[in-house]
Amino acid sequence: MKVEGVEIVVALFLWSGMRRFRSLLAVTCVALLTGCSMAIPTDPDGTLDRVTGGTLRVGVSERPPWVETAEGEEPGGTEPELIREFAESIDAETEWTEGGEERLLKALERGELDVVIGGFTDQTPWVDYGALTVPYAEEEYEGAREKHVMIVRMGENAFLVALERFLLAEGATA
Amino acid sequence: MTTHFGRTELPPAQASALRRAIRFERYTLIFLAVAITLVFLVMGSSQAMKAAWIEDLLSLAPPIAFLIAVRIVNKRPTEKYPYGFHRSVGVAHLVAGVALFAMGAFLIIDSLSGLITAEHPPIGSIVLFGNPIWLGWLMMIVMALTIPLPIYFGRVKMKLAKELHDKVLYADADMNKADWMTAVGSIVGVAGIGIGLWWADAAAALFIAVSIVWDGVKNLRAAITDLMDTRATTFDDGEPHPVSQKVDDYLRDLPWAAEVGSRVRDQGHVFHVESFIVPRPGESPTVQQLLEARDGCIELDWKVEDIVLVPIDELPEEVGGARDTRQSERNE
Repeated sequence: MKVEGVEIVVALFLWSGMRRFRSLLAVTCVALLTGCSMAIPTDPDGTLDRVTGGTLRVGVSERPPWVETAEGEEPGGTEPELIREFAESIDAETEWTEGGEERLLKALERGELDVVIGGFTDQTPWVDYGALTVPYAEEEYEGAREKHVMIVRMGENAFLVALERFLLAEGATA
Repeated sequence: MTTHFGRTELPPAQASALRRAIRFERYTLIFLAVAITLVFLVMGSSQAMKAAWIEDLLSLAPPIAFLIAVRIVNKRPTEKYPYGFHRSVGVAHLVAGVALFAMGAFLIIDSLSGLITAEHPPIGSIVLFGNPIWLGWLMMIVMALTIPLPIYFGRVKMKLAKELHDKVLYADADMNKADWMTAVGSIVGVAGIGIGLWWADAAAALFIAVSIVWDGVKNLRAAITDLMDTRATTFDDGEPHPVSQKVDDYLRDLPWAAEVGSRVRDQGHVFHVESFIVPRPGESPTVQQLLEARDGCIELDWKVEDIVLVPIDELPEEVGGARDTRQSERNE
């Protein structure tokens, strides 16, 4: 559902008038009102709405066994497999872009991709370029526990949460 | 036990206010410790929550400064510190003012840069008892939990600050106000992000930061000018402290005094008073008369204890005398 202008105006009005304790009540009311009439969170750029029934643009960076790429073939490995299932669940086509991490993350930041996979962990240094999903799988690697994540576009929170829900439900069994 | 500020014995009302203030500052520290832990746990990668967390760390400074100052201020004057240790309150006030200002400035820079670079704050899911829920809900709940207590603490401290003439408490009451206002701002901001307004959090923070910076500047200025021995003012630096006028009026009513003017500086809780008295023509005060006059002044207010009476031929300009006569130089 779309954001209704009236709600924003009401929220801003309450906000500007709030000086006293009872403002807390107002905030709660706004939160409840908006909660009833629309999906929370909502994407600022409408990614989830666009990819649902449309095209999911995926950046893939090689890192076996999570992501395996080969000339002239669709990417394989556990993460492309998960993305395929996710795309299917929201009735989307997948469009794969292969490349190095830097190029993919910068494309993600510009909004040319929706999600980037490449066996990333929650310790990835790319946090300024995209939003990490919750860790959906853990793996022992060189004596340390690595928590695996995917990276989506900054601030597209509805899409982020949708992917996270899918990963948490399906990722553990992958 | 008698409660002291240095060698100044506190009247019962102030003594109990001081004990209450110490208790409330301890509660504040306990509350902050819990809040800091909670916010840290739900912080995730959210810049907004990180900012709230750093603010909570900064708001530790005023209560700690107050509790340390209260310990130091208790000492009696020594040969090395002939004016006593009251100024530790001034130092604590400076610390609290810097903390408040830093918090506001940090918030302004943080939210402005977020707006300018159009940062879209990501808020994802968190797994709670096996169920994924949107972290935004949890953030709003935690923030809402941190609202009521600072409001209560702030109100109590404001009252105690007045009673004790304690500007550290006053600054800390402002800090509590800043705390709950940023919490309200974060709730509005996260709710805004929830309905797809990426700029909501930064805009809300900016709105609040302006008022925090203002409180910081106010307290900083007051702390610095007090350390510069500006004339004594009320606890909120709103106006000159009425005690100066009371001392002058009392002395002027003495049968042997013609003209009176005082320099009063705020040492922390108590004042250091130097009163210049021009005797009536032909009168010369005896030591006994001076002692009685001093005791009379001390009776006026508990903050007057360290007072020096100076019989003099004409009043220095800075306390209302004619032009070009100063205490700091010899007037020929």
